[in-house]
Amino acid sequence: MSLVYSNGKTVRVSLEVNGKKLTADVAPYMTLLDFLRKEINLTGTKHGCDDSNCGVCTVLVNGLAIKSCTMLIMQANGKKITTIEGLEDENGLHPMQKAFVDHFSVQCGFCTPGMILTAKAILDENPHATEEEIREGLHGNLCRCTGYVKIVEAIEAVRDGEYNPGCACSKEV
Amino acid sequence: MTNMIGKGAKRIDAYDKVTGKGLFAGDYINQFPNLLYVKALRSPYAHARILKLDVSKAEKLEGVVKIVTGADADVDWENFPKSAIFAKNETIWAGQGIALVAAESLDIAEEALDLIEVEYERLPHVLDYYAASVANPASIIDPEFETREAPSFQERPGEKPKQRKSPNIVGAYSLDAGDVDRAMEKADIIIEKEFWTGKKTASALECANAVARYDSDGGITMWSNGAGVHGVIKAAVCRIFKMQENKVRIIQPYMGGSFGSRLNPYVEILTVLMALKTKRTVSFEYTRKEMYTSAPSNWPCITKVKIGAKRDGTIVAHDYYLAEEIGAAVNNTFFTGRLSSSGACCVYNIPNTRMDTCAVATNTVPAAEYRGLGCPEAEFGIECVINELADELKINPVEIRLKNMLKKGDRNPYGELITSIGLSKCLQACADAVKLNEPSVQPENGPWRRGKGIATAGKQNTPLGRSEAEVRYNSDGTVELLISCDENGMGITTSLAQMVATELKMPMDKIKVIKGDTLVTPYDNYSASSRTTYNTGNAVKLAAEDCIRKLKEEVAREFGVHPSKVEIQNDKAILVGSHVQEVDIPSLFRPTSPFSQGNWGLQKGSPVVGKGIFCPAPIHMWDAKGKSDRVWNWFQYSACAVEAEVNEETGQIRIINIASSADTGNPINPKLVEGQIEGGVMMAIGFFVNEEHLYNDRGEISNSNMGDYRLPTFLDMPKNKNFASLINPDPLPDGPYGAKGMAESITIPVGPAIAEAVYQAVGIRVTGYPMTAERILQLIKEKEAAL
Repeated sequence: MSLVYSNGKTVRVSLEVNGKKLTADVAPYMTLLDFLRKEINLTGTKHGCDDSNCGVCTVLVNGLAIKSCTMLIMQANGKKITTIEGLEDENGLHPMQKAFVDHFSVQCGFCTPGMILTAKAILDENPHATEEEIREGLHGNLCRCTGYVKIVEAIEAVRDGEYNPGCACSKEV
Repeated sequence: MTNMIGKGAKRIDAYDKVTGKGLFAGDYINQFPNLLYVKALRSPYAHARILKLDVSKAEKLEGVVKIVTGADADVDWENFPKSAIFAKNETIWAGQGIALVAAESLDIAEEALDLIEVEYERLPHVLDYYAASVANPASIIDPEFETREAPSFQERPGEKPKQRKSPNIVGAYSLDAGDVDRAMEKADIIIEKEFWTGKKTASALECANAVARYDSDGGITMWSNGAGVHGVIKAAVCRIFKMQENKVRIIQPYMGGSFGSRLNPYVEILTVLMALKTKRTVSFEYTRKEMYTSAPSNWPCITKVKIGAKRDGTIVAHDYYLAEEIGAAVNNTFFTGRLSSSGACCVYNIPNTRMDTCAVATNTVPAAEYRGLGCPEAEFGIECVINELADELKINPVEIRLKNMLKKGDRNPYGELITSIGLSKCLQACADAVKLNEPSVQPENGPWRRGKGIATAGKQNTPLGRSEAEVRYNSDGTVELLISCDENGMGITTSLAQMVATELKMPMDKIKVIKGDTLVTPYDNYSASSRTTYNTGNAVKLAAEDCIRKLKEEVAREFGVHPSKVEIQNDKAILVGSHVQEVDIPSLFRPTSPFSQGNWGLQKGSPVVGKGIFCPAPIHMWDAKGKSDRVWNWFQYSACAVEAEVNEETGQIRIINIASSADTGNPINPKLVEGQIEGGVMMAIGFFVNEEHLYNDRGEISNSNMGDYRLPTFLDMPKNKNFASLINPDPLPDGPYGAKGMAESITIPVGPAIAEAVYQAVGIRVTGYPMTAERILQLIKEKEAAL
């Protein structure tokens, strides 16, 4: 049963989430965020502001960092979505996840999924991103706990190949 | 030997958080398919009479289950937390609740809000200290304040104001140490200034959120991101709804930040209200807008600072006035100015100190705790004046502070003994890191001008509450630590596990922390006033010691020696004077079998449990002059030095180089301390430079979203190489392993250091914050016009 009532009007959406193909009938005004959190229980993607300002809802859509709170579900139709749940594989944590653990880049953890996915997208696009470019790329993701210092540190460590060189370039792109 | 104190142990919650597997309050809704959703209709006016409130159309909407309004007589609104009190006949701030809807879906609940008909008659409002504190204010927030019976000291440590010019002044405190008037006469220089501060919201990234399950016995099980499962939330639910203690279970999952702002239960109380009314499981998540308009903000302070000094920089007297602007906090039993003004007595040894403080109500969102408890607001003006004093007397700003600073063994103006102060090292380290004595190199072209500044700060720890802990040593040699302090994100669960590891000489991965469930974990009040490392830490150390004592007894009995002959090291017991030198502790736990069972001794599956309870000594009531040898508990300190640049054409401030140092006592985990320093500095840059509530003509916050309420981003911070986070501890004698708290003092000196850097850069002195571009530009223009 859909948790978001649709007054009977639904649209059919087909998309791939973390490598799994899905088809669902949902309200046309549903956001990608609500779909992920409420329809398919991927609650690692967080909800913070509804207007693209905080970044805790960031997911990868065809490899690009997108704020899912302002993407309507049909805009994701036919796309490949990666959420934080999709990063860890049989070999363990993704290098970016490992780096966030090792560098104390996590405090309350609410921004963390969005930060990690955006950071991944930055290095996927630009494996040699400078500190300025990392900061520029992440300035739509707020963190209230860390002061950003240790987040930048972790991303630079991944960039510099400290975590399984080659892994920083994603499988997705 | 496993000494984990002072080690950068990895966070025990990091895996849960980097994988998204750790659940936050809002993640629980999927577990309840028949959930009701709550939404609130809120007043758009800061002050208005409600002429008509008609919910009948909304009630008829299919899927609406219950609507509650402030007029409902069977709700004990008077006893609700301030920001959760719904309007009865009159709304006293924009954002106050009017009606609360529970419906089968969020969409239906939102649609129902549109169907509620309200007619308001606008009334005049007062939005700040200046409008509220005049003799005949346009609006009186709590007309019954004067006639209401004053609560006892425990409820309201303070007085009713003596000279109450405005009916909005609702609480007072004064201190009169030494002889300020006589000392002031002997001063060579006196600087006197008035300072203001903006009203801000902590803006934790997770909005307030609660899911309350209506249990089969009529009780409540609630998951929420509020602080203090026992001491705050459960206590409030039992008190307000007159519920039995055994029918209220509060569980705190991971919390998406608090910074003090979640120490007040509001969403929790409203959620329980609707669960009890509907006998259903309900969920309520505040919108981001509500987090600004309807959840507690900080309290801004107005301060008047008058400091007299000798030519050599010795401060001889301090005459200080402070007013806390507390918003629409009716039935005030909390605010008197005493909390914030403690900031004036932390750092400097000024025996002639006079303080006159009060609280002022306004038609704005009710205020509550926010990182620093008013001390950033209280100390801003003092630090600015001391910087000005140094400039006027041509004394180095580090020197003037060292000259006047409290030293260990001194008594502060209250009369309290200072047992730990590492501030001089903090100050020097920050000055060195930004090369304070070397002038800034100015950019050759363009509008940017650079300057440097430094400041210090202290923050009291309130001796409040009781922490309990339990350490369970399982029969396989693993350990569970049970605690109920809050893990707002600071990493306390990791630090406490480090303490247990150290006591039991055990690797961290054998320790599991179980936290924040009133049915399971022992009492704690909350994580407030930077107390958790100290308060809960002491309880955890006691619990570990108790567990070790019991283990020793068991082993000693088994081998016929005195317990003092036994040492516990992880899963081994080391014995002296026995025929056995070392024994594997798990092997001593007997399996349950008809041939070995007994009702004494160690048994498989049954842990050895150690308990610890810690409670700091209470406050000693102050005398008629406001003095006492124990008003607070201990003090945390920090210093900050900044190099900033100011755009002379736009007024914009950029921080290009910053050093912050904390006196943490002995840090349990220096990496976690660094995280607190870095986060504190960032938060402070936000509220000193940008953040404030702005209002439209209805008195409603006009920037109640994360786009217009400008929080610091990655781009507002200096680069990592220009950000020094430094630890200069002075061990606290009564802290566990010499540790004390530190998260609050960090923010305080950042603002006055920036203000001085601005002065050095462009020659203007700010008298308040946030130091927004508009204000700085205005001051630059005023300065140019005066030339």
